[in-house]
Amino acid sequence: MSWKELAQTQATAARILTNALTQGQLAHAYLIEGQKGTGKRKAAKLLSQSFFCQNKEGAEPCGHCRDCRRVNSGNHPDVVWVKPDGQSIKKEQVSNLIKEFSYRGVESRRKIFIIEQADHMTIQAANSLLKFIEEPNGETIAVLMTEQMQQLLDTIISRCQILTFRPLSRQQMEEQLVAKELPRPLARLSAALTNDIEDALEYCSNEWFAEARQKVIQFMEELINQSQSVLLKIYGSFSPHFDDQSKMDIGLDLILLWYKDLMSLHLERMDDIIYIDQLDLLNRQALKSSLQQVTDDMSSVLSAKKRLSAHVNQQSVMEQLVLMLQGGVSNEL
Amino acid sequence: MQDTADQNQETSLAMKFSISKDKLVEGVNHVMKAVSSRTTIPILTGIKINAGLDGITLTGSDSDVSIKAYIPLEEDDEEYVSIEKPGSIVLQARVFSDIVKKLPSDTVNIEADSRLITRITSGSSEFNLNGLDPEEYPRLPQIEEENIITIKTDLLKHLIRQTVFAVSTSETRPVLTGVNWNIQNGKLDCVATDSHRLASRSVAVESAENATYRNIVIPGKSLNELSKILDDNSGEAVSIVITESQILFKAKNLQFFSRLLDGNYPDTDRLIPNESKTDIVISTKGFLQAIDRASLLAKEERNNVVKFRTLSGEVEISSQSPELGRVFENVQAEEIKGEELKISFSAKYMMDALSKVDSQDIRISFTGAMRPFLIRPVGDDGILMLILPVRTY
Repeated sequence: MSWKELAQTQATAARILTNALTQGQLAHAYLIEGQKGTGKRKAAKLLSQSFFCQNKEGAEPCGHCRDCRRVNSGNHPDVVWVKPDGQSIKKEQVSNLIKEFSYRGVESRRKIFIIEQADHMTIQAANSLLKFIEEPNGETIAVLMTEQMQQLLDTIISRCQILTFRPLSRQQMEEQLVAKELPRPLARLSAALTNDIEDALEYCSNEWFAEARQKVIQFMEELINQSQSVLLKIYGSFSPHFDDQSKMDIGLDLILLWYKDLMSLHLERMDDIIYIDQLDLLNRQALKSSLQQVTDDMSSVLSAKKRLSAHVNQQSVMEQLVLMLQGGVSNEL
Repeated sequence: MQDTADQNQETSLAMKFSISKDKLVEGVNHVMKAVSSRTTIPILTGIKINAGLDGITLTGSDSDVSIKAYIPLEEDDEEYVSIEKPGSIVLQARVFSDIVKKLPSDTVNIEADSRLITRITSGSSEFNLNGLDPEEYPRLPQIEEENIITIKTDLLKHLIRQTVFAVSTSETRPVLTGVNWNIQNGKLDCVATDSHRLASRSVAVESAENATYRNIVIPGKSLNELSKILDDNSGEAVSIVITESQILFKAKNLQFFSRLLDGNYPDTDRLIPNESKTDIVISTKGFLQAIDRASLLAKEERNNVVKFRTLSGEVEISSQSPELGRVFENVQAEEIKGEELKISFSAKYMMDALSKVDSQDIRISFTGAMRPFLIRPVGDDGILMLILPVRTY
């Protein structure tokens, strides 16, 4: 990872940080805000490396000196990295953090504090952090990361320079995946499903995912042909494949994306189509359905997702969804 | 065994030495005092072993304090170490210390290869341990010969004992959990306070002519640790080196590093009253014992407060607990000068202070019932204790 790489996805943030680094004008506290998978952690690591690296070129850390390597392995004594242990940041972690605030560095006076999911801090921890960032002493930096900035104390936000990390656009992610020699239909689908490049990569390399896509396409085909055996298909092959709640949730997302494609077709936004290799089938279905119908179907899928997350039996969720999509049952049920 | 023999062909030897088991165990025991199992930095679960041309250095650390133990090649005509190839390795501290203690023979051979696999052999037993990269281990400050401050071991231990008890235990003002050291003109001033009481000690040290250090705040915890590992009976001197982030104490074959506290230590000079209205000279031991007795009832109350009153030629110490009863005791004073006085103070703070004083008599100087008062041993200007009274009368 280098600042150049980061600049491809987070141009503004990378520019702010590299400028600050080259001009020696780092702020004493940064708040990195953005969704999961937008590279917050990588940026924090990069900043620590640039902060400590002895032979950096401009802002770029060399990546192989002792300091860079130790930042990478988590062994740098002056990088205090706090991440929630399970659901929240534990009391012990907080007291360690408070202690670290009051000590000088191990190897030099330079120190960097990195707090992941800073919104999970207790009020007590947040206040001691506040005390620290209120009276900065030139050579320490605090980096807070959060996915929910509004849950942080205003007093903390107002004392940090805020770096907003934009979610990767679907196209950017798709291109990155295709560059890794993954088939475009799969790349596009997984990019539409998640904002996290790592997650997307995992989807693409997972055989289950490719099969899931096939299952969904077959399912839609049966629906379009108004086949009587849709439900049988559900019992026979669809449900066994999506055999737990999170998998089923992905399955429903895939169906939802299909309807979104139908909508794109109706609105003639051809660039947005995700199932690009299934244009024939999509066109056939688009001819048969009105825009209103597509909207209704989408809300059916959404309500199925809702029921699923309320722990309704997966089989019943699918049965009901099929009946609704076939037009047999009204949405109000 | 065969397995490693095969693999060794692709790897090169990174370190090899043999060492007296007793010396190794002794060294490991020293450095283990600094190793904590609850560290957030993975490499610090290990002990760093460095084989240099002049001997073996072991290092343990929990990042707050670090201890280095040095085992020379030979000492008093006895050979302890023989180095075949200098190098270093980091080994899991817990396992390594358990292993070396139980090894069968008097000598231990340790060798590491470039893949960090470490072979420990002694007698007929052989351990192969996975080591960690020594490059990952924190760098500790190096000793620079020019800025060394020298102090006698027993004096250093005294000085720690006489100040560190007064540090704050609360985290609300972290800088007060340390002892503030200032060095100027060959004089070392140490001050500790928790804002209810203060202890200060000045001693002469050997230092370079113009060596001046200000606001060196050493965590009380570290000083306690240091005091424990310093050898009581050695008449040797300890060298002190101060860097921007750490302080290093070097005794014979042992180095103790502590991180410093950040932040400005408050100016304590202006807390110390210059004038006094009532001056008392009293026997340290007699006064301490009387306070101790009065505190038997006082400590049942939450605040552990005793009352103190001057009479002619003696002082009265009293305390009461509504549930238990009262205690009165008169103690003969050597000398009482100035105004009459009634004052209350924490028995614990008074006992803490008195028990750190070695002189026979102490002088207590009061400036009124609501003002802090000073305790000084008679005949030693280096020590000064200050206690804030409690409002009860």
